[in-house]
Order: sequence, then structure tokens, then C-alpha cells
Amino acid sequence: MDNIEYIEGYFKGNHDAAQKKDFEKKILEDALFAEEVAFYISANGVIQEQLQKEKKQRFREIYEQQKVISIKQPVTSIWKYLAAACVIVAVLLTTWFFSSAKNSPRQLADTYLQQNWQTLPVTMGKPDVLQTGIQFFNSGNLPGALNVFESLVKTNPENNAAEKYAGIVSLRLGDYDKALKYFTMLEADTNLYSNPGKFYKAITLMERNKSGDEDAARLLLKQVKDGNLEGKTEAAEWLKKF
Amino acid sequence: MTDYATVVYDDEEMIRSLKENERPKRKAEEELFNRHVYFIKEGMNKYSLDQEDAFNAYSDTILQAIDNIVKTRFESRSTIKTYLYRIFNNKCVDLIRKKTTHKSSIHQTAPVSDMLEMISDPAKTIIQELIEKNDMALLQTKLDETGENCKKLLAMFAEGFSDKEIANSMEYKSADVVKTSRLRCLDKLRQLYNAKKS
Repeated sequence: MDNIEYIEGYFKGNHDAAQKKDFEKKILEDALFAEEVAFYISANGVIQEQLQKEKKQRFREIYEQQKVISIKQPVTSIWKYLAAACVIVAVLLTTWFFSSAKNSPRQLADTYLQQNWQTLPVTMGKPDVLQTGIQFFNSGNLPGALNVFESLVKTNPENNAAEKYAGIVSLRLGDYDKALKYFTMLEADTNLYSNPGKFYKAITLMERNKSGDEDAARLLLKQVKDGNLEGKTEAAEWLKKF
Repeated sequence: MTDYATVVYDDEEMIRSLKENERPKRKAEEELFNRHVYFIKEGMNKYSLDQEDAFNAYSDTILQAIDNIVKTRFESRSTIKTYLYRIFNNKCVDLIRKKTTHKSSIHQTAPVSDMLEMISDPAKTIIQELIEKNDMALLQTKLDETGENCKKLLAMFAEGFSDKEIANSMEYKSADVVKTSRLRCLDKLRQLYNAKKS
């Protein structure tokens, strides 16, 4: 076992130049030691290959799951394309109809909602509670989706995805105060690489359209634009149209 | 706590996460696989591969890229996507070439060669010849016989975990205990292998 430790030290780079020379000299002079070194490398290779096989199997499972989803939902996919086509036609018609008029914040928010929040992205992997909520949402069961996302937020207040989705569902249901509550929680989350909380709050205010909401939304959009935050492209465009 | 399932990685974040251990690394590996999984379809269309071959070429691409990223061989001179695409195309061409020359398997990564490269000649030649004489299939069988605990210890170490990290993950008392156990496992494997070989 002493030799194994010595061999391991060599391959971990623990030996200095002189020790390396001694090590290689020992290989040349001691056949049994050379065999031990060859065994160490071979064993390492076999272990590494086993690891690669396991990872490949994991990738296969992920890939098979994706195939099952795409086979199970061919009709849904067609409807999704049709829905997307309808949205595009609707947007084109709306653009044509209002081409001479200035876009109101409410109209901009409506368009954003229609284009982005009719369905939520499904993440591949093992189904979990979040995915159940997303499935409810995508199948049109908004109250069911809200229940799932709210219970997730309650059990894990740091689950930023649940906060985001709870806000989006509330907004879709017209419960603007609740949407603002969840987007504020999301905004406060500092763990996110990219945080859309502020931008989503602006959309909610634009959609609610109460007295003072437009000004508050404008302020938030400006912060999004100036702070280079998520939604900055839309924010810059909308600020021009306000 | 960050919900890794919903984290959107940019290249820098991806590289950092792949170099971490356990959950973040695993998530990043799966995210990397998922992100460019459409390459499989492209391999089928562009190179007329069947789905199984295209999948093998793609998963080998991801495994090779992960290995290179972890060992800092990827120097970020291009995006990860471009890098993967290049490897994937090479794998596909390699696969077609091997098929036309009637070789059945796609090129496998050879972890053995990394260690071998560390040894200078003429010692390297001697070790290379001895490795070629080793029966890898038998070694694999004997590795299975060392038991789940040994396999896990050796696998974690081979994946780059330190003895301290293994101690935390597998609830050993200390890194020293892990080291002793790990070396004993390797010794056990050698004895099992030599006994069968002789």
C-alpha cells in the first residue's frame, strides 16, 4: 500500500524534479514497481470510464424523457403553433389598427402578456412540484397553478422561480396587488444571476393602470434601463412610447 | 438558496459551475447537455446518422467538453456552443469514418493517456507496454467486486473530489480515514485482479 501512496503522489504532482527522476528510474530498474504503476493507471482508466458511462446513462435518461414528452404531446404542439400563429396575426392586426396612434402603457403590457405569458417554459428533468404548477398553468388551470406556486413559496420562501410564477399567475388572474407582492419578493432576491422582479412590477402597474401607476411604472422602467437589468430592451422601447 | 433548476447560465457561470462539486456541477452538466441537445437532430440530418449514433456522438461531445473545461484546457477563445459544435462535427465524421472502415465503436476518451503523458521516456514506453497487457474487462469486473463503498470512494476521487470533500459527503471521520480506506480499496482491487490473472 506504501507504493500506491507513492505512485499517487507522483500523479498528483506532489513530487519535485529530483523525486520524479527517482520515480522514473525505479520504473526502469524495478519490474514489480513498474507493474504497480501500470496497474494504478489502468485502474484509474477503468474507474474514469465507469464514471463516463454513468454520466452517459444520465444523459440518455434526460434525452429519453424529452422524447416521451414530444411524443406524448403532438396535438398540444400543433395547438401551440396555431396559438403562436394566432398571436402573431393578432399582433399584426393590432399594429396595423393602431399604427397611427400612440401605444398606451396598458396596451404595451397587454401585448407583452400575450406574447410571453400564455405558457411557461417546461424544464426537462425529473417532475417536481414546480413543474406540476407549470403544467397547470399551461393547461389553463390558473387557480390550480397559483395554489401550487403559493404553497411552494410558503414552504420555501427563497424559491425565486415559485415567486416569479406566483406573480405571473396572479397578474394573469387580474389580482394585481398579489402580483406586486410576489414580484417585490422576487426583486429582493439577491441570489439570482438575472432578476426580472423590477421589470415585472412595472408591467403589473402598467396593466393595473390606476392613478399614479403610469408614473411609478415609468420610474421602474427607467431603473431597469439604467441599471442594465432584465427587460432593459423592452423598457427602453416602452419609455419612448409612453 | 439559489434554485439551480431555473438558473440560466452564461458561459462564464457554466465553466465555474462545472468546476464545482456535487449538485452545482451535476446541474451544470445536465444544463449543458440540454442546451444543445438539438445537435442530435442536426447530426441525423447533416451526416445521415441514426438517432443512437447521433446521441452517442453528442453525449461523447459533452463528456469531452466537460473534461476539457474542468482541466482548464478550454481557453474561452470561442463560445462554449461553437466549441461543442466543433467537437460534435469531428465526432460525427470520426464515427462515419470508423463505420466505413468496419470499426464498431466511436472514439472513446482515454483517461489513461493523461497520466501516461506525465511520465518521461523511456519509463513511459515500459508503462505503456504493461498497460496494453492489462485486461481492462477483467479489471472492470474486479472493480465491481470491491463493493459499493469502495467503488463510490474510488469514483469520487477519480472525479476530482478531495479526501476532505469525500469525508464530508460520505460521512467519514476525517480526510485521513478516507485516504486510508481509498488506498485499501485500490490494494484490494489489485489483489482481486492479480489473483484472477494468475
